[in-house]
Formats: sequence, C-alpha cells, structure tokens
Amino acid sequence: MIQILFISLITIAIAIAANIIFGRKYSQHISIAAVLLVLIYMSYSISAFTSGSLAVSESLPYISSLGISLHFTLTPISIMLITMSLIVTLAAIVWQGIRGANTRSINSLLLLFLLSAIGLFASANLFLFYIFWDVGVISVFFIIRSFGSASRDVASKNFLIYSIFASALLLFAIMLIYFYTPVGSFNISYITAHSYEIPIDIQESIFMLMFIAFAIKMPVFPFHSWMPNAYSDAPTSGSVVIAGVLSKFGAYGMLVLFYLLPVAETLKTYVYAIAVVSVFYSAFAAMRQNDLKKMAGYTSMIESGIILAGIASLNYLGEYGSVYMMLAHGFTIALMFIAIGSLEFAYGTRSISILKGAVSSAKSASYSFMLAIFGSTGMPLTAGFIAELMIFIGTVSAFGLYGIVPLAGIILLGAYMYLAASRSIMSTKEKLSEVGIIGKSQKAAMAIAIAAVLFFGVFPFIFLNMVKI
Amino acid sequence: MASIEYFGYALFALLALLALAAMAAPFHRRKKVSFVLGAVILAAITLTASYLFASGSSFYLLNIFRIYPFSMLFVGVFSILLLLVMALSYDAPGSFDSFFMLFGFAALGIVMVPMASSLIGLLLSLELASIPTVFMIAINGKKFIESSVKLLIMSGIAISILVFGMALAFPYDAQLSLVQIGSASGPIEGSYLALLALVLFIGGLSIEAALFPFNLWVPDVYEGAPANMSAMLSGINKKVALVAMMEISFAMFAVYSSTYVTIFMVLSIFTMFFGNLAAMVQKSVKRLLAYSSISQAGYILVGFAAASQYGLEASIFQMITHSFMIIGAFAVIMFLENQGIKTIDEYRGMSSRNRYLSIALSLLLLSMAGVPPLMGFDGKFLLFTSAIKSDLLALAFIAILNSFLSIYYYGKVIIAMYQPKKEERIVAPKAIIAVISIALFVIIIFGMYPQPIISIAAKAASALLGI
Repeated sequence: MIQILFISLITIAIAIAANIIFGRKYSQHISIAAVLLVLIYMSYSISAFTSGSLAVSESLPYISSLGISLHFTLTPISIMLITMSLIVTLAAIVWQGIRGANTRSINSLLLLFLLSAIGLFASANLFLFYIFWDVGVISVFFIIRSFGSASRDVASKNFLIYSIFASALLLFAIMLIYFYTPVGSFNISYITAHSYEIPIDIQESIFMLMFIAFAIKMPVFPFHSWMPNAYSDAPTSGSVVIAGVLSKFGAYGMLVLFYLLPVAETLKTYVYAIAVVSVFYSAFAAMRQNDLKKMAGYTSMIESGIILAGIASLNYLGEYGSVYMMLAHGFTIALMFIAIGSLEFAYGTRSISILKGAVSSAKSASYSFMLAIFGSTGMPLTAGFIAELMIFIGTVSAFGLYGIVPLAGIILLGAYMYLAASRSIMSTKEKLSEVGIIGKSQKAAMAIAIAAVLFFGVFPFIFLNMVKI
Repeated sequence: MASIEYFGYALFALLALLALAAMAAPFHRRKKVSFVLGAVILAAITLTASYLFASGSSFYLLNIFRIYPFSMLFVGVFSILLLLVMALSYDAPGSFDSFFMLFGFAALGIVMVPMASSLIGLLLSLELASIPTVFMIAINGKKFIESSVKLLIMSGIAISILVFGMALAFPYDAQLSLVQIGSASGPIEGSYLALLALVLFIGGLSIEAALFPFNLWVPDVYEGAPANMSAMLSGINKKVALVAMMEISFAMFAVYSSTYVTIFMVLSIFTMFFGNLAAMVQKSVKRLLAYSSISQAGYILVGFAAASQYGLEASIFQMITHSFMIIGAFAVIMFLENQGIKTIDEYRGMSSRNRYLSIALSLLLLSMAGVPPLMGFDGKFLLFTSAIKSDLLALAFIAILNSFLSIYYYGKVIIAMYQPKKEERIVAPKAIIAVISIALFVIIIFGMYPQPIISIAAKAASALLGI
C-alpha cells in the first residue's frame, strides 16, 4: 500500500523549499517538475483505485489529546478534484513564463495554495479541513495583495474580510459539531454516522453557519460581492487558481455538508431556490460587464450556482454530476482567464468594447476564449456537457420539472456571449494593433487547459468508472 | 539523598552564578564577557531544568523551593526567553553592563517564581522580577523615566495588594505554604476571608498580568519603554504573573474552583474585548501590540476558566506560544523604531525596505491572529476546545469572535507593509535577525507539529493539579 497523499504533500512541500532556495533561476523548472510529479502519482492512483491496491485511508497521529490525527482519505471525488487542481495550477504556473517578474514568490504562493488544495480535498476530519482552508485563503490573499493590478487595495481587503467572516462561521460550526456529537469528534465519517443524534434546531444552525461560509467561497448570490474585484484585480495566474480551485473549496465543503447532516433533506428546496436565483442573477450581471475578467467572474458564478443545484438534489447523479462540474468548470474557467490574460498582454486592455477585431493578430488567445465560452455553456465534447447532463438528470428527479429551470440561465448567457464575442473579439471588420506578442509559455498554458477541457469531455469514463455510474 | 536532587542543587548553583556574573558586570565592563557568561549560564539552566522535567521527579529543596514538572517547564522556557531578550538588548542604547546587572537579578526572580513553594517565596521572587525591570527601562535615557515610574507605581500597588491577600490567608495557612486551603472535599464554611484573600491575589496578579480592569498602565509603559523591554514585559513578566496566578488558584485554592471559574470567565471576556477593540484604533504599531498582548492574556484565561487538565494544558501552550510571538514581533519593532519607523502609515512599503523582516512580521502577526498552520492557531484551538469540553460554549464563542475581530488590526499592519511603495532598503543587525528567526522557527515548526509542546504542557498541567 503506497501512501500517495503523504508523498504528494511532501513533494509539494519540498518543492516550496527548493523554490525559496534555488528559485532565483530555476523557479519555473522546480514548480513544473513538482506538479508533474504529483500528477503522475495521481494518474497512478486512478489506475490503482479500481484494482484496489491503494491505501484509501492514510493516518498519522497529530494531536492525541483531542483525538485529532493527520487523517486523509482518497475517494474518487478527492482524486478528481486533486487532479483538477494540479492541472489548473500547472497551467497557472506555465502561463508566467521563465522570464516573468516575481516568479519565485508567485510560484511559492501557488505551490502553497496547491498544497492546501490537496490537503483540503482529501482531509478526513474537519480540523484538517479548516487548517487547509485557511492556508489556501491566506496564500491567495498574498497573491492578490502582492502581485495584483493597480486597484488591488480594495480587492484584497474585500477578499480578506469575506474570507475571515467565512472562516469564523466555519470554526463556529465545527466547534458546535464537536460539542454536540456524543463523543466530541472532528472525524467526518464519524460525524456522518452520528449526526442524527444532534438536536434538529442545532443541526439547522450548524447548516446555516456552514452554508454561508461555503456560499461565500463558491461564490453564490447574495454572498458574492468580493468576487468581481478579486477576480479582476488578481494577477492572471492568481485569477486562474481563485476561480478554478479556490471556489471549489466552497463547493466541496458544500458537498461534504449536505451529506454530513440529515437536516439537509428538509432544507434542500431552499438551497435549490438560492441556486436558481444565483444562476439568473449572475447571467444578467454578466451581460452588463465591459471588463472581460469581471464577465468571466460572473460566468463562473453561474456554474457555481449549477454546482449548488446539483448538490442540493441530494441524489447520486446530482452528487457526481456536481463533482464532474467542479472539474469541468475548473478547466474552462482556467482557460477563460488564461485567454483573457493573454489578450490583455497582447493589447493592453480587457475591455470588450475596445477589443474589437482582436482575432486579427492574437489568434490563439481569441480562439481559446471562444472555446472557453463553448465549454462553459456545456457544448458536447467538452467536459461541461457530461457534467450538466448528469446534474440536470439529478435535479429533475429531485425537484421535478423545476429542475430544468437553471438551464435557461445557461442558454441565455451562452447566446449573449456568442453574440458579444463574435461582435467584438471575433469581428473581422476591424483590426487591432498589438502591444505585446503572446509568448510560447502563454500558448503552452492555453494548450494545457484546452487539452484538459477536451480530454475530460471525450473520456469521461476515466473518472466515472471509479464511481461505477 | 537521591542523585536527582544534586541536579536541583546544581540549578541553584547556576542561579547563584548568574547573580555573581551580574554583580561583576559593572566592574569589569566587558560587554562580550557578560553576554557570553549570561548565555552559557542560561543555557545550562535550561538543560538542567529540562533534565529535571524529563525525570518527572517531584521534591522540595531547602523547604522553600519545589522541583516538579510544572516549575521545571517554566524555568526552562523562561531561561530560553531571557536569552532571547538578552540578545535583543545587546545593542540597546543604554549601557549593557548596568543592564546585565539588573537583568541577572530580574532573571533570578523570574526563574524562582514557578519554583517557589511558599507565599513568602512567591512574593519575594515576584518583587525581584519586577523591581529591576523598572530600572532596566530607566537606564536607557531620560525619556524613558516616565514609563519606568509608571511601572514602579503599578508594581508597588500590585505587591501591596498581594501582601494584604497573604495576611488574610494567614489564618488558614499558618506556614504560608502553597498547600491546599480547606479540605479536599470542600471549602471552609463561612470562609469569607479566604475568598477575599483569593480575590486579592487574583487582583494583585492581574495588575502584573494586565487583565481587564487593571490594564490601563500597559499601553503607556510598553510604548514608553524601549522595545526590548516591552518584549521582556509582555513576553516574560506577564507570564510570570500568570504562572503565579495558576499556582495560587489551582494549587492553593483548588476547592474554590467553582468561585474563581466565574471570576476568570468575566476577566477573560472583558480582557479580550478591551484589548481587541482598543487595538483597532491604534496608529502606533507598538501600542497596537501592547493592546494585542492584553487580549492574548484574555485568551489564556479561557483555559483558566475551563479549570481542567485540558484547560491548563492549553493555557500553558498558549503562554509559551505568545511569548515567542511577542518577543519576535517586538524584535522587528525595535529595529524599525531605531530607524524612526513607528506608525502604521510609516510601515507602508516595508516589503521593499526589507523583505525578510516584513515576511517575518506578517507570519508572527498571522500567528497571533490565529491563522493555521502557525502555532498561535493551535494554542487558540486547544483553548476553545477546552472551554467546550468544560461546557463553556458561550465563552468559547466569544473567544472565537474575538479571535476573528483581531484579524482586522493585524491585517491592517500586514496590508500596510505590502503597499506598493518603493522605499530604500535597510539592513537589520544580525542579533535581531537571529532572535526573529528563532521565534519564527518555533512558531512554524511547532505550529505544524504541536504534539511535543502539547505533551510537555500536559505533563506540567497534571503535575500542578496533582493528578
């Protein structure tokens, strides 16, 4: 039995140390090598998982007086999400190029964030979940704070305030759970087995606290107002990981929450209603944006809403559909932000109204952007299609015909975005002169994201075989 | 005589040596000699104490000192902290020779507080710990006199309240030893005097530990004193008072626990809120840290209020944690203050002045705010769970709330440091870098793997409670 997760975490930790020591020259090499190495571990674990030669549960004693151990479990869900975070972070690291400014610091923070993502998606107790959650938040805060665009002051403050509020609620909820479970415990599987013993009103308040905490991170209407600034003022590699991976912290937490407490069964309709409102709100908000990054932010919020709808359906297809959606959304939004970052690099602006005729010279970025739009509307052969299919079957079986309502939001936005993009970026009437030339590293990053979007759209069974759908 | 007792005597020989070295310092006037001598002796004390701690033995020495894991843990920790403060003070403006003389005696008192086995011993060592500190502030120059006089007055008041408490405790404890008052089954009936004595003890020690109603001297003194002395006051002297409070309440007045749990709870809540709310409006970073260290004492009291093995364990853990954090933070501040950088506004663009210092200060502040995986988080987490285990859910929630309130002002400093503003580079002296690095190392390593500190804290706590 190989303890894949410990090895992965240690690999990343060594890479961070190596990055700090040798990073002046070899930051890119070290970071990319480390991520690729962990990606190899993960692909091994996918094959080993089906044959059963994998340590599913890895545990080391940590704080024995509270019964806390470094306890990780490797489930299909965690394998999917970890693979997604690895590929997204890889694209973010590659995007910067070898000669980029501040690569050493950004890469160290990105790797730290990756470490927290791996730990969070695999943690088997709420204590570790909370620790990795906060490590992720703090590293993202420093990415925005130190390397963001000119108006990062407001963005990083908003991000910090919302995140701290979320962390506080999460810690409150964890303490409540610890207090009310028969033998105070942080272990997720133990709590799941014994949560029916928690009084129903306490369950409701725990659910509320955790729901708000996770909804802030996803983000879902009405807890999203940190999102537009944070996405638009972060550096491109930062936006990629915030939208691609950090928002999945919230989504994954929501998934854990729904299967943690039995009270979720009675509250799921309300949650579904919030999800639907969120989808339509963000669809209309996206139409009003002129800044491409903000538009991409609202697009990602639509998909967060759909993920929430899938989770709220509380059935098998909804659950795995939303997990697959997290995966698909990670890739498509990464592609979108990378394409936007490259467009900005090429033309010095992110405004849709100015970017008319961008396709004339920055072909790679423009076509990648179009592909990202297709991917986020769930075109067949992209990963989003499989996910939406599963989610909507799930929601329809849970909520009847109301389950199909969010689809209208996607179609609405899809139609708008095709129109907007074809009028401005893909327009052949105008010509735009370049400020910079998109380099190899940026093209490589786009290639990674495109490959991931298409690969997991064409071969969904790689993951779905693990859960035997 | 068992061979382990020789180590006890060796400890006292080392303390006597420290006093001798301290007295000799103003005569030979060799900075380096005093420093090396002091460092070697303190290191030897740490080693002896850790050996005695590991042996787990418990015995009385000369009838006035008690060697047991609780006292040995704090002797070891305090001597490491004293070493850090000494390294910080090496380049301080005042003369190091006279500093070292006073420092030696203060160290003697500080190390003797956890070992004292009688109220007289406790009082004398507390006084020995606090009086030299006053002059250690004053020798740095005229502008520090105000701060030192304030400290002198406050410690005078504290000592007199303690003496009054001792007088009231006398009828119940004629030897003035720290043994338990009342029978094991319950408190003495109609024992208002005993309760009054307890309250006076807690009140007197609260002045030195800067708990809520008695904390108004703290910001002035910390801000007026040189930063190395602020580090000593908040990193060591405050913990000394808390140690004395632990001994008096959990050893001597153990059967009155239902009474003082309420007292500690109220003190804790007010101290946390006062410290955090007042810190939010500060402009000077040093003053901000003074208020933050008030609120940290409030968190430590959460463990006292839990009044259980877990609670004391968590409190001891947090006391060790906070000492390292605050000494590291004051080390950064000391250096910046010498460069004329004092207010949060002046901290803008720190990351371009000196990247290492700004990373270090950010990590130390994040640890104080309780962000994982740093040691401050582990301490707070242990404290909150201990409160929950003792059914103090409301207290735990208030503490969590405060912990998140505090991120506001710590974040303010961090955000200011990373403001995009180009400043010229400054280089810190090696002694300060060394102290900061040690503090940082402890905070990060034991933050990620807290079990060693937790188990020694647990051993000390169970020794104190006599379990």
